[in-house]
Amino acid sequence: MIEEPYRWVEAIANRREYIETQLASGSPIVALSYAGGILLLTVGRQKLFEIYDRIALGAIGHPGDIERLRMAAIELASTEGFTRSAADVSLRRLAYYSLSPVMKNAFEQIYGAPFLARLLFVEIGSSPEEDLFLGLEYDGAISGGQPKEPNSRFAVLGGTKASAEQMEQFLRQEHRDNEELSIAFQLALDAWTLGHSGASEIGETPAREQLRELRKQGLADGVIEAAVLDRGITSAVRYHPLTTTDLAKLTAS
Amino acid sequence: MESRMQPLELGASGLEDFPALLRRHGLLSPAGQPRPAELPKDFKPTESTTILAFKFADGVLVAGDRRATSGNTVVYDRADKVLEIDRQSIMAIAGVPATAWEMARVLEHSFQFFRRTQLQEMSVDGKVRALSKLLRDNFGFALQGIGVVVPIFATFDAKASPAARLYFYDAMGAQFEATDFAATGSGSPGVRGILYYENTWGKKPLQKLDTDDAVVVALRALDTASEADTATGGIDRHAKIFPIMKMVSAGGISTLPEEKIAELFRKRVA
Repeated sequence: MIEEPYRWVEAIANRREYIETQLASGSPIVALSYAGGILLLTVGRQKLFEIYDRIALGAIGHPGDIERLRMAAIELASTEGFTRSAADVSLRRLAYYSLSPVMKNAFEQIYGAPFLARLLFVEIGSSPEEDLFLGLEYDGAISGGQPKEPNSRFAVLGGTKASAEQMEQFLRQEHRDNEELSIAFQLALDAWTLGHSGASEIGETPAREQLRELRKQGLADGVIEAAVLDRGITSAVRYHPLTTTDLAKLTAS
Repeated sequence: MESRMQPLELGASGLEDFPALLRRHGLLSPAGQPRPAELPKDFKPTESTTILAFKFADGVLVAGDRRATSGNTVVYDRADKVLEIDRQSIMAIAGVPATAWEMARVLEHSFQFFRRTQLQEMSVDGKVRALSKLLRDNFGFALQGIGVVVPIFATFDAKASPAARLYFYDAMGAQFEATDFAATGSGSPGVRGILYYENTWGKKPLQKLDTDDAVVVALRALDTASEADTATGGIDRHAKIFPIMKMVSAGGISTLPEEKIAELFRKRVA
């Protein structure tokens, strides 16, 4: 049946629909810059990972597929960092050259299994202008880059396109680049709430009190997971998961 | 780099350690193969000595002189033999720096690779074993007499008891846990004598010494080693080159500033 081109297009469309349905319930991930670096936040089972000294990954999808992609990314980055130097490990090359072609290939080989995963990679630069946000879709498509506009250094991952758009729109209005971590944390949590609660179906940003109410409902389902890429520390490893103590402090603020 | 296109066939990836990954990509020489001895007769590898470590009140102090020699030639007088492997571990090296520095690099990446892939810190036992394995893999070179490395490994795990841990190795990879002190390299016999004496009959046992006293003991020991061993640099009084000293304690690793060592040397050693 695949010999006929339109059948192939149809099969691809079906596969896309299937994957989108599978990913729809995924808990959103928010990454945004603050004064000291970049904060990543989500709620639920572990979905934030350290890839290399300056690279973090957030992922939605099937745990098995996320694991395969995560391992591939760590192996490539570690090998590069060992043979050359940590400074030569580049997220851009990792995403464009290594991961994207493999994901595209798996998606289009319709007799094989595609990756049920949507990834968000973040790389912290030596200055905020060099920060890099790259989204990687199950079909190998890449979005994002180095945000040039002021206050636009953020990226989100949503279960659905509508949810992601809703969060982006909210952050475009609310996000400021050089806020304290505690303020960035609250904002990230609000953005997550918006993406998670299905407020996208309402079509407009709910009021602040409504957001807090939705947040309470959302958090009843799981615990907050957050990590930072810290520009300020002297050690080569910039990635740090926030501990339960950190989170308790930030949530209370 | 053509292997880049198939990075995803990784069914057993959780089992593979970092050296194995490097070997799969042809980036590390195969393990444990003794090589035929075909070296030129007058070939003398660059070697470095002497290193020592002992437990003191805050944790472990690790010190090393700065000299690297080849036969009776001094190759370098600012070698760094005390290396930070991760936030809790220090490795000090006596032997051939070419091999030792590569080993340290593999080790550093191994610990990070483990943390990133397995989502937890490698245990102290795992770290000690990882170094042991690297030494065994290097035994071919060691047999030839050109790649002998005898390291010391010090780490601090606040949750364990005792928190401060100190290990030394032989060239084949056997690991020995030291209760109080360890020293390797050509100048080590003298150093061991001094540390044993200090620990047994000194004013205080080594484990009770504060940082200043510990630094003074280390300086005196290395100075003594250089007195009889030409391969040990000790303290270069003219060029003002002092040993490298690092400490690992509850707060992580700290490197003693050169000015501090110089000051203690002036007041209590010179």
